[in-house]
Amino acid sequence: MVPPRMKMAITENPKKLANLIDLVNLPTPLRDFLGQSQISRLGCFMRVWSYIKTNNLQDPNNKNIVNCDEKLRSILLGKSQIELIELPVLIKLHFPKEPK
Amino acid sequence: MGKITAAARGAQLPALSNLVRNQRQTPPAAAAAAKPEEDEKKKIWNSMIRFPTPNLSDAKSIFNSLISNPNPNPSLLTPKFFNSILHSFASISTLDDSHAFLNHMLKASPSFTPDRSTYHILLSHSPSSLPSVRKSLNLMLSHGAFIPDKVTTDIAVRALCSSSLIEEAVELVKELSLKHSAPDTYTYNFLVKHLCRHRSLTMLNSFINDMRDSFGVKPDLVTYTIMIDNVCNTKNLREATRLLGVLSEQGFKPDCYVYNTVMKGYCMLSQGGEVLRVYNKMLEEGVKPDLVTFNTLIYGLSKSGRVRDAKKFLSVMTEAGHMPDAVTYTSLMNGMCREGNALGALNLLVEMERKGCTPNSCTYNTLLHGLCKARLLDKGVELFRVMKAAEMKLETGSYGTFVRSLCRKGMVAEAYQVFDYAVESKSLTDVSAYATLEATLKWLAKAKEQGLAV
Repeated sequence: MVPPRMKMAITENPKKLANLIDLVNLPTPLRDFLGQSQISRLGCFMRVWSYIKTNNLQDPNNKNIVNCDEKLRSILLGKSQIELIELPVLIKLHFPKEPK
Repeated sequence: MGKITAAARGAQLPALSNLVRNQRQTPPAAAAAAKPEEDEKKKIWNSMIRFPTPNLSDAKSIFNSLISNPNPNPSLLTPKFFNSILHSFASISTLDDSHAFLNHMLKASPSFTPDRSTYHILLSHSPSSLPSVRKSLNLMLSHGAFIPDKVTTDIAVRALCSSSLIEEAVELVKELSLKHSAPDTYTYNFLVKHLCRHRSLTMLNSFINDMRDSFGVKPDLVTYTIMIDNVCNTKNLREATRLLGVLSEQGFKPDCYVYNTVMKGYCMLSQGGEVLRVYNKMLEEGVKPDLVTFNTLIYGLSKSGRVRDAKKFLSVMTEAGHMPDAVTYTSLMNGMCREGNALGALNLLVEMERKGCTPNSCTYNTLLHGLCKARLLDKGVELFRVMKAAEMKLETGSYGTFVRSLCRKGMVAEAYQVFDYAVESKSLTDVSAYATLEATLKWLAKAKEQGLAV
């Protein structure tokens, strides 16, 4: 059973939902990081975020900042530090809009 | 504000609860067997006859070994015993196999004479389509020479409606009424409820007219309550008023449930004054208000911004012998939060707990939402901790508000934790939880760029 609000979101904007949950063939760096060749944008976010949590990469002084390790740097534009605010945007870069 | 409709939902429940006669699950004969020792026996049966596969020949051999047991307990070899075997096979198998299995049972065990409920079992497990229901009915007629009665009709209708084959159910009811017997009020009202929910008013009205003209089945008070409830849910109060008129024309006196339903309708339109008017009319007519009435009234008044009036009814309802429950308090808190008086709502929580009333997740969600809206984030965070400890689910509205408030204060990491909790506790789907978080962060980044936020 889909909650009404969600249903509305789907019917009103199917594309927006699709680009969150559709499986996408991944570029090489992401493939190496995730160890799989296809994932959805949502799945990718969850994996990266749980990677940050399990490896304690959040800055102890400011939890809003993530100190990237080698592996994480490879998929996040080579930055050594990112803010949690930008995480979704950075991940979205790997999922370009499909040409019409 | 999310889910206070619980109060309103309560309004329809009692009215419909007389309808819920659970016949589908337990066939009538078995339903009578609710005595404890029977339950004990049932347990033995169930452990004995759980068919591992829906395969017909396997089932046959299991059955053969069951009845060829050298010391069969004679008290067990009752029709009920055979029926429950059939029941457990039919629940995992196909219609044709079940029919074949029944034939096999008849051949293999001469002591078994199928009764009406045997066929009802087959009927209730028929895969839901009109042809297969017909097939089971024909078997019942030709094989066992049982004429379908009201219970049969009820089971068939419920089977069809459960897979939303409502048109087919209507067709079947008309057919059975023509050939055998008209449906009883439970079946009739059940069908009306489904027509209301899933089909158009026109179809409903034509069904009601057909049944009245052809078979003399007339809508009763419960039917009208269902119909009024339906139009109230679609905010069509004009139709509700018309139905109220029809109802009194037919010689019915509106009862508590009817009034509660109408009050709910006005609640949905946030017309507190009208809710109060209905309540007063109810008193004039000498109908005694129940807990749901007061909850609906308090909800309606709170929702339309008349919290002070709503509060007065707390004492009125206590005097009438109804203890305010979680719904009552939550409605009041909702109203106070709407006014921006989140602290007052928080105090009400304390008072409520002192009176021995346990708040539910809806209460906490309302408070969380209210505290965030009133920019009392610290208290919100504290409340969230309590919710987390109690493993309460977040609702969409309060989740969104909370995440946005946290982000506004620059507490992004905390917002991520709330997101994690929402996903973990399955409060929201991953997609909607993430969509909210992403949108909020996007908005925050923009605001930061313009120097508007932390």
